[in-house]
Amino acid sequence: MLWRGDQMDSAVGRALPTGFATLDAQLPGGGWPRRALTELLLPHPGVGEIRLLGPCLTAIQQQGRLVMLFDPPAKLSAQALAQLGFDVAQLLVVHTRARVIPGSDSLWAFEQALKSGHVGGVLAWLPARLRADRLRRLQLAAQAHDGPAFVLRERAAQQRPTAAPLRLALCAGGADRLELKILKRRGPPLASPIVLTLPPVLSDALREQAWRRQRDTAQPAPQVVEHHAHEPSQVGSMTRSSRVEAMPLPAATFISLV
Amino acid sequence: MLWISLHLPRLSFESWLAVLPPEQREQPAALMGARDVLMCNPAAQRLGVRPGLQRVTALALAPQLQLGRIDAARDRQVLTSVAHVALAFTPAVCWAETSGPAAAPSTVLLQVQASLRYFGGLTPLLQRLRAALAPLNCTLQFASAPTAQGAAVLACCAGNGSDELHATDLPQLEGLLGAAPLWLIGTGRAQWAVLDSMGLGTFGALRRLPRPALQRRFGPALLDELDTVLGMRCEPPPAWITLPETFEVRIELQTRADTTDQLLHGAQLLIEPLLAWARAQQARVRRYTLFMHHERHRRQGEEVPVATELSIALAEASCDAAHLSLLLRERLAHLSLPAPTLELRLHCADVVRGSPHSAELFASARGEREGLVRLIERLQARLGAGQVQQLRPMADHRPECDAAFHAVSADAVGSASRQTGRRPSPARPAVPEPERSTAQRPVWLLDEPQRLAERQSRPLLDGQPLQLLCGPERIEAGWWDAQLAGRDYFIAQTPDGALVWLYRARLPLSVAEDAQGWFVHGRFG
Repeated sequence: MLWRGDQMDSAVGRALPTGFATLDAQLPGGGWPRRALTELLLPHPGVGEIRLLGPCLTAIQQQGRLVMLFDPPAKLSAQALAQLGFDVAQLLVVHTRARVIPGSDSLWAFEQALKSGHVGGVLAWLPARLRADRLRRLQLAAQAHDGPAFVLRERAAQQRPTAAPLRLALCAGGADRLELKILKRRGPPLASPIVLTLPPVLSDALREQAWRRQRDTAQPAPQVVEHHAHEPSQVGSMTRSSRVEAMPLPAATFISLV
Repeated sequence: MLWISLHLPRLSFESWLAVLPPEQREQPAALMGARDVLMCNPAAQRLGVRPGLQRVTALALAPQLQLGRIDAARDRQVLTSVAHVALAFTPAVCWAETSGPAAAPSTVLLQVQASLRYFGGLTPLLQRLRAALAPLNCTLQFASAPTAQGAAVLACCAGNGSDELHATDLPQLEGLLGAAPLWLIGTGRAQWAVLDSMGLGTFGALRRLPRPALQRRFGPALLDELDTVLGMRCEPPPAWITLPETFEVRIELQTRADTTDQLLHGAQLLIEPLLAWARAQQARVRRYTLFMHHERHRRQGEEVPVATELSIALAEASCDAAHLSLLLRERLAHLSLPAPTLELRLHCADVVRGSPHSAELFASARGEREGLVRLIERLQARLGAGQVQQLRPMADHRPECDAAFHAVSADAVGSASRQTGRRPSPARPAVPEPERSTAQRPVWLLDEPQRLAERQSRPLLDGQPLQLLCGPERIEAGWWDAQLAGRDYFIAQTPDGALVWLYRARLPLSVAEDAQGWFVHGRFG
């Protein structure tokens, strides 16, 4: 065993930029957290979650690290992934529920990937109605994982507490638009949702037309909140509430998470 | 010249005890000779069983006593694995001569004069030797001397609870052997009765007598052997132990094994000798095969083969006992045996020579690659090789055929990440601008396109009318393999804002009745 004295450790502990400035400003650390689970709640697959996570995961792949997907809900299209910038050679898909193995559960593979610490980023679709202690165990395993760990669950899990330090609820806010509500984060609660413009599928003209049509016909479009860029490089700015120009806290003691 | 000797005083007993299941090793157990007890473990000693007792007496004292027999082949295998461990330290290893052709050797001799400088002295060498022999779980006695026979005798007489005997030169050897009993050498044992009755039981006693008288009384053989031990006579070159080209060892279990734990326990006894053999050649194991033999009387009349074979191949050759046994455990969990097995055999002919990469203190690309290879091996061992997949884009316009999933091979992933390394690739932007030459494709594709109902000529998804936004994109391909797809694809929006990808047949009248109408094929994730 030989250790060379000129080896340097790579800096760990920084959050990964999400690729959306308005979201970076609202997340503690200025991006997706490392070594912790990030929970995303979706009504159904296909609201724009892959385009939301795309900038972060493609950046990880460009560093030469592997991205693993666990139990994706449908088949993936290689051309669509290539259009988003993914490198399919650095992407692995693991199906854990194809065969029932006595004595083990379907989250074993996800836990092994987190504990190994060699995977760049993981994305897992968890089964419905997961017990809280299983999620707690995954959160503990994620501390060994140098990178973001995203778990995607159904919307109904919102009613139950979670061990993940960051919890977001996603829903589609129009064509190429994603509406994000931060349900739980390490910092003051955010009352109003964030609307992000995703990497577009439609052309600009068609997108405008679709937004206009939706505004006219359906319920009023969600309020577009623009946050000025606070200094996103300041870590821990979330914990000092005096720095945040957000909405004043509601008067009630209990914060409603809906 | 410096010789180290390794003596195994309880070789037969420990080799039998290792074959028992772990929970039975703590129970009273004794090794039987022809009619009496030869050795017993502390649990039996607490009940009063002693070496030398008759069999019936021992069973009366301890009714639940487990009895075992000496098996020369099993002892020989344990001794061979000790010799293989020793071969990693010096190429000159041999057995100690035994008193007769029937008796089995129980001492291994190493000639280490040439290795002292590399290991930095005798004490560090002995420390490393002890550490390397620890996984074999044998009681060992060490001794060292300038002559081979002297070292062998010292190791045997150091066993009465005293410290190890190490002699650095011949006068010290003579002093240490002064009180050693004469039945430790061959001719001494043959004439032991006569010597003992004369009061000449030790080496020192014999040395004090005049040599011509001893030669007349006992013959020249005794004096020759004494001189060889004390270094005054040249010893003939011994037969050095050589490593076999392939590794083959078999073990017979005490009870029939048909669960994973029992099989794993039996296989563990074979993995340690395998690693000792591999390390002796400075090599790592790449592939080995475990044969589980079934008994003959269970095979009659049924479709039960002679042996069930389990072959384990590693993507990255390794000498790590923990990793090998983990992989074996995962593979054994999936295996179903047609009948219980009593005999296990391990065969290995595939090793990789050369030293492994150095371990690193901080994570680097190569360490990460090796860790990834091991992770993928573990996942494939537990979930099945086909459950860990990689995408390969295919040149096909039909959306359902544009990617093929194939089972990833662990070393392919390793080489891919080795090539890209940790450098950021400079020429690729993070998110490409949407190319207008090919339209955007959805990330999620349904396995089977789902038919949609229609109301007022608008397609309905889950009861909600869809608004068509963009299209049509005409895809017509697949005339060469009878799955002709002529479709017009549209992007539509659900009332809550999600985008879906629909299609309908380009020529509705040319397709079957159930292929007409709207189908949803994907969602934009």
